[in-house]
Amino acid sequence: MKTDQLIPRNALVWIIISLFTLVAPHLGRIPGWVLAVYVFAATWRIMVYQGRWSFPGRWVKAGLIISSFAGIYVSFGSILGLEPTIALLLTAFALKLIELAERKDGYVLLFLGYFICLTEFLFSQDLPMVLYSLLNVTLVTTALVAMHRPGEHQFNRKTIRLAAAMLLQALPLMVVLFFLFPRIGPLWSVPIKSHTAKTGVSDFMKPGDISRLGRSGEVAFRAQFEGDIPPVADLYWRGLVFSRLEEGAWSSLRYFDIPPAERRPGPVETTGEPLLYRVIMAPTQQNWLYSLRYASPASGGVMTSSDYVLFSPTELEDERLYSVKTWPDAVLEPSLSDWRREIELRLPPQDNPATLALARQMREQAASDAAFVDAVLARFRNEPFVYTLDPPLLPGVDPTDAFLFQTRAGFCEHYAAAFVVMMRAAGVPARVVAGYQGGELNPLNRTVIVHQFDAHAWAEVWLGERGWVRVDPTAAVSPDRIEWGLERALTGQGSFLADTPLALVRYRGVAWLNTLRLRYDALTYRWQSWVTGFNRDQQFQLLNDLFGGISVQKFALVLLATWVLVLAPIAFSLLRKRRGHRVSELERHYLLFCARLQRVGVVRAAGETADEFGTRAARALRREVDEIERISALYNELAYGSAAHGAAGPDTRVAEFRRLVRRFRPGRN
Amino acid sequence: MQIQASIDSAVAEVGRVLLGKEPQIRLALCCLFARGHLLIEDLPGMGKTTLSHALAEVLGLSWKRVQFTSDLLPADILGVSVYNRNDASFSFHPGPIFTQLLLADEINRTTPRTQSALLEAMAESQVTVEGETRPLPQPFFVIATQNPINQSGTYPLPESQLDRFLMRLHLGYPHPRAEREMFQRRQAAGERVALQQRISAAQLAQIQAAVGAVHASDNLLDYLQRLVAYTRTAAEFAVGLSPRGALALLECARTWAVMQNRGHVVPEDLQMVLPAVAAHRLVPSGDYAGDGMALVELMRRNVDVIRS
Repeated sequence: MKTDQLIPRNALVWIIISLFTLVAPHLGRIPGWVLAVYVFAATWRIMVYQGRWSFPGRWVKAGLIISSFAGIYVSFGSILGLEPTIALLLTAFALKLIELAERKDGYVLLFLGYFICLTEFLFSQDLPMVLYSLLNVTLVTTALVAMHRPGEHQFNRKTIRLAAAMLLQALPLMVVLFFLFPRIGPLWSVPIKSHTAKTGVSDFMKPGDISRLGRSGEVAFRAQFEGDIPPVADLYWRGLVFSRLEEGAWSSLRYFDIPPAERRPGPVETTGEPLLYRVIMAPTQQNWLYSLRYASPASGGVMTSSDYVLFSPTELEDERLYSVKTWPDAVLEPSLSDWRREIELRLPPQDNPATLALARQMREQAASDAAFVDAVLARFRNEPFVYTLDPPLLPGVDPTDAFLFQTRAGFCEHYAAAFVVMMRAAGVPARVVAGYQGGELNPLNRTVIVHQFDAHAWAEVWLGERGWVRVDPTAAVSPDRIEWGLERALTGQGSFLADTPLALVRYRGVAWLNTLRLRYDALTYRWQSWVTGFNRDQQFQLLNDLFGGISVQKFALVLLATWVLVLAPIAFSLLRKRRGHRVSELERHYLLFCARLQRVGVVRAAGETADEFGTRAARALRREVDEIERISALYNELAYGSAAHGAAGPDTRVAEFRRLVRRFRPGRN
Repeated sequence: MQIQASIDSAVAEVGRVLLGKEPQIRLALCCLFARGHLLIEDLPGMGKTTLSHALAEVLGLSWKRVQFTSDLLPADILGVSVYNRNDASFSFHPGPIFTQLLLADEINRTTPRTQSALLEAMAESQVTVEGETRPLPQPFFVIATQNPINQSGTYPLPESQLDRFLMRLHLGYPHPRAEREMFQRRQAAGERVALQQRISAAQLAQIQAAVGAVHASDNLLDYLQRLVAYTRTAAEFAVGLSPRGALALLECARTWAVMQNRGHVVPEDLQMVLPAVAAHRLVPSGDYAGDGMALVELMRRNVDVIRS
């Protein structure tokens, strides 16, 4: 093994450091023993460096590989899927360290390191993760730089400074490429994250679903309004419409459950100025998107269902940005089709007899459907109903009866479901709507932050010409929930985010902490709207705005021009640096002489003097012996002789030299 | 022209006792002409002492020889004051160092204390004994020989003291033909061939004056600076050439040019003296397996003679 192929100590230190920083963000997803493999591999390699242990033999290596595969299989139950493959990659990465002997092994390891840095983005593209990845890239680059500095044994920071400088130089190019490089669709699809649960509201409602969300402080989505933000009490973010009640669970209509003629939403008359806002949703692994009613999508890839809910044809595996126009006063479906009316009235026939009886009786006493709605709401308000996230369990049989006449404690979904059952029982078309209500206003960037605990369910009732009208029975029971949010509604119960004591949202009371949190949230919003939400459509839009219209030629031109703009100054400064010592005319011509000889296969070595080279060239090119000797001798004299030499002045001799070189055209012998 | 002839004859004269070593003989002469001290390093029996004796004789200098042993003391070299009972005073008995040419045999077999006494005298051309400073005769040369440092019973000279020697020469095994000729002479062991003086004191002064007049062009100084810069930046070097080392290199190249009867220095002169002048001043870095000579070879190969 040649000494210059060895890994210097400094590089080894950087490699081991970057190995651990690379695996750190994955720690939550990989079994603990993988980290043990890292410690083991690092220890082994350090022992090898100190000369106490030797590199592993072939059988040891084979054993390690097989046991890693077995370990992954045992830990995950499979070696396919995203997490197992990444755990396998990380294990292999660690094991590669113990066969790191020469520089070429170092290359393999470090280039793999860049790839591993990329795998973190499969799980999170948040700002902190990106900053952390930049740190990782810097460390890996530092190790790469250190490998090329064989003289440095002492661990030092000079290397990281150089690597950081290199990356800083690459930064403008990175930004340009990010915004301008054509966004090609995925060439292959990454296997779905098998172990990540679907989050947010689910597509059917069982009792208890929303109270589970009520305990989560995660952000569901953020919305940024262009004009004024409507009052919080009016922010009903519709996500799903539940029209079907079967076996105690509410569910939404599937696309193919709807007759073809009804699959598209009916036309809606809109008047007045719409609300304009952009929503950035956290990944849910689901299809539906949230919006205020009546919403019309203003960006591509978003569709409207027959019950006026926005959805995306593909599941939301990453953050999603979309723009929406909303006319809050628009009338939805002033006339119902027979099929729709039948669906929105259907109830399981024998269930909840007491509720049905009560509803029919109340409808008879009311003058109209609207009056009936008011009467039911009044009943919720006046009877001793309680709003709580920890309601007593309802029986499987006739749950609405039990809720209305016995327990009388529950939260939004109980009230919404009971309300809709009563409406339907009395022959008024009604349905449950699930989504989020309210949100937190961030005054710093005029966004509404909607958390998981803002999840809500309410009802929509069809009132003839007024179409579908939103009715929130929860507001009748607990007005605080709608005016002030869940936190206020649960004051004194202590169940708000009870399971996550560290969630920052819990500490809204501490002013500076709250400002800090909101500031960070504003930053996150900007990050999501500019970076993670920057997709092909956004890029198209940007290019359109910047350069007006898109064509392939224009695109290529812009890309090229930016490259030139970024690279030209660098190239120019390099050129200037090289010109720092000026090559004299004499040397330039001598180098020309060398170049011409090189073309016929006589190459001057760096340490070769003019005489030696001349002699060698003369031996190779018999025909040009005289010229080569004259040029070499003259160069020697002009370059090293004292100025007093020769009868003619040095200027005329240089001119002679120049003439000789220019006329010198060696041919192949 | 006359100088040239006498140098050639001096080389030939030394060549009578040291066969087939003309390049080394020329380099040794170059070192002395450049007013430098010479260190000859090789295994025992390679002709170190023979070369130093022969040089002293052809230069016609007064010379003394000291065999360095581990119990040699500074006073043994510098001299000592002895009480004279007749006139009740101390009188100084100069040591062997008071000569024009001192042959210090196996310098690395003595203790550092004695070594430094000698090396101080070399640097300053004077000795201080018992508070009195006495100048050494002029010219003053030291030709030291030493065994390779990894031999047992040696006290290796530190870098700072190696630097006092302008050149370090290796003799190496003789060419088979030269060795054959040596066998054929059937010279009795210990029999000494008397050599003639070939270069007079006046000629020596003349050569030394000529060295000062040699022209070193900008192009050549550029090359020298590139060589020096390379030793200071390349990863293989732990210690590069000091300014003193660079000056020594230029001085030797100038002298070599005079010996070639040329009024200006060419890159070949630099390359010629480079191994002898630079190798003992360079220290390889820990990752580099080569020694000083390998480093010199790197310099020769990697530094471009022509600026490009």
